[in-house]
Amino acid sequence: MSRVEASRVELLQGTLELLILRTLLAGPAHGHAIAKHIQRTSEELLQIETGSLYPALHRLEAKGWIIPAWELSNKGKRARFYRLTPLGRKQLVAERSKWETFSRAMGLILNSVDQETQ
Amino acid sequence: MNSFFRKLRWLAQRRDKEAELRHELQFHLDEEAEERREDGLAEDEARLAARRELGNLTVVEENTREAWGWTRLEQVVRDADYGLRQIRRNPAFFAIAIATLALGIGANTAVFSVVNAVLLRPLSYRDPDRIVTLSDFSKTGEAPTALSKQISIPDFQDWHAQSSSFEAMAYYVSREMAVIRGPEAEYARVTLVSPEFFHVFAIEPVMGRVFTTEEMKTAGSGAAMISYACWQSHFGGDPRALGQTIRAAGLRPIVAILPPGFQFPEKTDVWVSYVGPPGLRVGQNFRAVGRLKPRVSVGQAQTEMTLIAARLEQRYVDSNKGRSVAVTRMRDEMVGNVRFTLYLLLGAVSVVLLIACANTATLLLSKATARTREVAVRAALGASRQRIVRQLVTESLLLAFLAGAAGLLLAYGGSKALVALAPADLPRLAETGIDRWVLAFTLGMSMITSLLFGLVPALYASKVNLSDTLKQGATRLVSGGGMMRMRGVLVVAEIALAVVLVSGAGLLIKSFVALQNVALGFRPENVLVMRATVPAPPSVGIARTRQFFKDVLSQIGTLPGVLAAGVTMAPPGYVDSTGSYFIDHMPAQPDPAAPPVILSIVAPGTFAALGIPLKSGRDFSDSDALDRPFVAVVNEALVRKSFPNQNPLGRTIFCTFDSDQGMTIIGVVGDVRQRGPEREPMPECYMTYGQHAFNGLSLVARTTGDPNALAGTLRHLVRERSPDVPMKFMTMEAVLSENVAVPRFRTLLFAVFAGLAVWLAMVGVYGVMAYAVGQRSNEIGLRIALGASMSSVLRLILGQGLALAGLGLALGLAAAVASTRLLTGMLFRVQPNDPVVYLAVAVLLGIVALVASYVPAGRASKIDPLTAMRQE
Repeated sequence: MSRVEASRVELLQGTLELLILRTLLAGPAHGHAIAKHIQRTSEELLQIETGSLYPALHRLEAKGWIIPAWELSNKGKRARFYRLTPLGRKQLVAERSKWETFSRAMGLILNSVDQETQ
Repeated sequence: MNSFFRKLRWLAQRRDKEAELRHELQFHLDEEAEERREDGLAEDEARLAARRELGNLTVVEENTREAWGWTRLEQVVRDADYGLRQIRRNPAFFAIAIATLALGIGANTAVFSVVNAVLLRPLSYRDPDRIVTLSDFSKTGEAPTALSKQISIPDFQDWHAQSSSFEAMAYYVSREMAVIRGPEAEYARVTLVSPEFFHVFAIEPVMGRVFTTEEMKTAGSGAAMISYACWQSHFGGDPRALGQTIRAAGLRPIVAILPPGFQFPEKTDVWVSYVGPPGLRVGQNFRAVGRLKPRVSVGQAQTEMTLIAARLEQRYVDSNKGRSVAVTRMRDEMVGNVRFTLYLLLGAVSVVLLIACANTATLLLSKATARTREVAVRAALGASRQRIVRQLVTESLLLAFLAGAAGLLLAYGGSKALVALAPADLPRLAETGIDRWVLAFTLGMSMITSLLFGLVPALYASKVNLSDTLKQGATRLVSGGGMMRMRGVLVVAEIALAVVLVSGAGLLIKSFVALQNVALGFRPENVLVMRATVPAPPSVGIARTRQFFKDVLSQIGTLPGVLAAGVTMAPPGYVDSTGSYFIDHMPAQPDPAAPPVILSIVAPGTFAALGIPLKSGRDFSDSDALDRPFVAVVNEALVRKSFPNQNPLGRTIFCTFDSDQGMTIIGVVGDVRQRGPEREPMPECYMTYGQHAFNGLSLVARTTGDPNALAGTLRHLVRERSPDVPMKFMTMEAVLSENVAVPRFRTLLFAVFAGLAVWLAMVGVYGVMAYAVGQRSNEIGLRIALGASMSSVLRLILGQGLALAGLGLALGLAAAVASTRLLTGMLFRVQPNDPVVYLAVAVLLGIVALVASYVPAGRASKIDPLTAMRQE
């Protein structure tokens, strides 16, 4: 078995949408490919549940941040490809800076020296 | 907005979207499976693994759809559609459920429409909450009556001068009196008003002008305003009505026409400026109204008026001792005595609705039992409990709304019937109708009932144990322990509620019968009453009126079909005047401890005409005139009070009516319930119209046939001789019936509601028993096969039904004893814990339960053991 059951990380609320948007920055992709890409890029730390992936995709679509189109997959099958809209691109920038601020803040606190020494 | 339209577009593309979603997920599964295959799994295993990874497909689809928005609405639509299909599939079942609920909702809506019109809707004046009444009240705690609330002008003038809470304050007195325009006379309601009267109601004439100072001052010229309705009916809406002169409490020019709809008080046609003298501080003949200044509360005004009244009490001890002022919001004052009756009826009718809900709940429970398998399948396919409950509740709501719509139709007819049945003097009754508040009430009722009857079955159904239910065969879904108990509880509750209503109705009926059977002291059958007023200036009025009635009496004696006739100031059931009396001598100082007495002026022959028995002595005669010794006839109550074991004949009685002269008692007559059938007779002193003045007289004539037939003849006779005398005819029985209109109204409605309750409870018991027999048919079959006799099976089932009824009866009687105390004030010669009534209720409900369980029991006893057991 090549698959290693790495210890998985629960996704934080709302971060799945950010990950989807970031994934689509590289170009259009269908649901399965998005899931695989996130899994692979996170070195298998993040396992995307199909049960939440599709609702999230459709939510993003409803918000107008991504737009779907039926295209042929690389194996020649019809698949629903999602593409980032300009609105989605803007949203990605905003969400991303929010996330970076948040993670920087978390880092600052968790890595502060005086706390560590006690 | 943008997203709204997108959603709307999606809604249109619904079907495509569904297919796309399925395709998208299928693609995902394929990809996943292929990946697993590449990892080395076999074809089947790979597919299975992919499927497992995805989870419950239905749930994923459902969650994704939720992301589209609208799904909540769609679910409701779909559930409602499903519910409608259910209804179409079981029309009889749902017809019963809807009819039951519609009856409950309709009855509630009808009663509410009356409550809404009479009690809740604001008065149609500007700032109605600032309009208050000011009435006199005794601090000794006597129950206030319409008469005791009246006020005097001197008191009013002090209130007006000393208070600062009011923008305007006015007094008025309203009477039905003869109004003459040209040669014709007729009765009209005339209200004499003080200057600020119209300011209180913020009313201005639609045509003409307000009263001038000259027209309003004491002994001034006076003027009249007429109602819009009167202007239309009597002047044909002709503007030339202004300036015409009418005789209403004196000759008055019409100076204004008031806006349509304003007829305060009591359908007034003519308002006349009061130009009489203020009178005495004890002359409490007026009523008062006021308009509060903005931002002054009723409480503040009351505080101020209480202070002023206390000052007056100190200053005028003789007249004002023990008296104070009550400030009441006008709407509350208008409906004061019917409020409790109406709320009671609303309470009673809501109990009917509760029973209807319980009935529907048992119906739905039986459906829920049959549906457990369907629910189990849904649950197995991934529907959440919440989702299942939501669907079942949607169905209940649908049912309730259909019932609400049907109920509204019923209420439309029902409220008309209520208005027709209700006492005519119920204030604002004519405004009853279906308005938006009534609609909102019906809507709210429907929603509440859907929760009441739908939630329990829904929760039950959703609590299905999956494996148990699916394992069981199709015919025996649930052994039904819990479900059966639930139905039992509902039926017991139904019976208990019905018992409460029937007990209340029983008490009211018994009381009403007692009220009807009370000996009134006279015979009201076939008596015609004619009121007539002879217009004349006060100086000659008494003499002319006396002559008029003398003439009528002498003429009427010759008419065929007239047995006897008389004239009285106070026909039975109506008290015109009260005072106090003294025997043998008149004290120099007024004595507050003197016994009270009802004063009546009659013509000779009146006792015979009314059927009041002469117990001893003689009736008045025509020779008892002004120039002869004054004489009086007293009733037995007076004799009991003042002449115990003595002969009253020949003794002297003093009553201050119009003279201080002593009167020799010449006769004793039986007691008449002058103050209505529910009040004990009190001492009464009759005087003859030959020797005394009077306020107004009525002719009473006893006929052989229908008294109404005499009315036409009489009207013709009088018109011919005295065209300026207005007349009004009624029969004594109609007057009496009007007297008991309120108790009749509530008794009738209570009885109807109780009847509905019993009927519904009967249906409920039948339903439960029939269901129980169905459930136990193979057990019963087994019993019969093992040799149980028909009668023992009958006993078994009847016993079960009676056990339910007995429990309901016990609970209901306990609740009834506790709650019928509310009726105490409405009962006449019946105690709220009357054992006969409760016994009758117990017997009635027992019979009802017996009848309702007899049919299923009979069916059970005829069960063919073979068939029953083969069903297994």
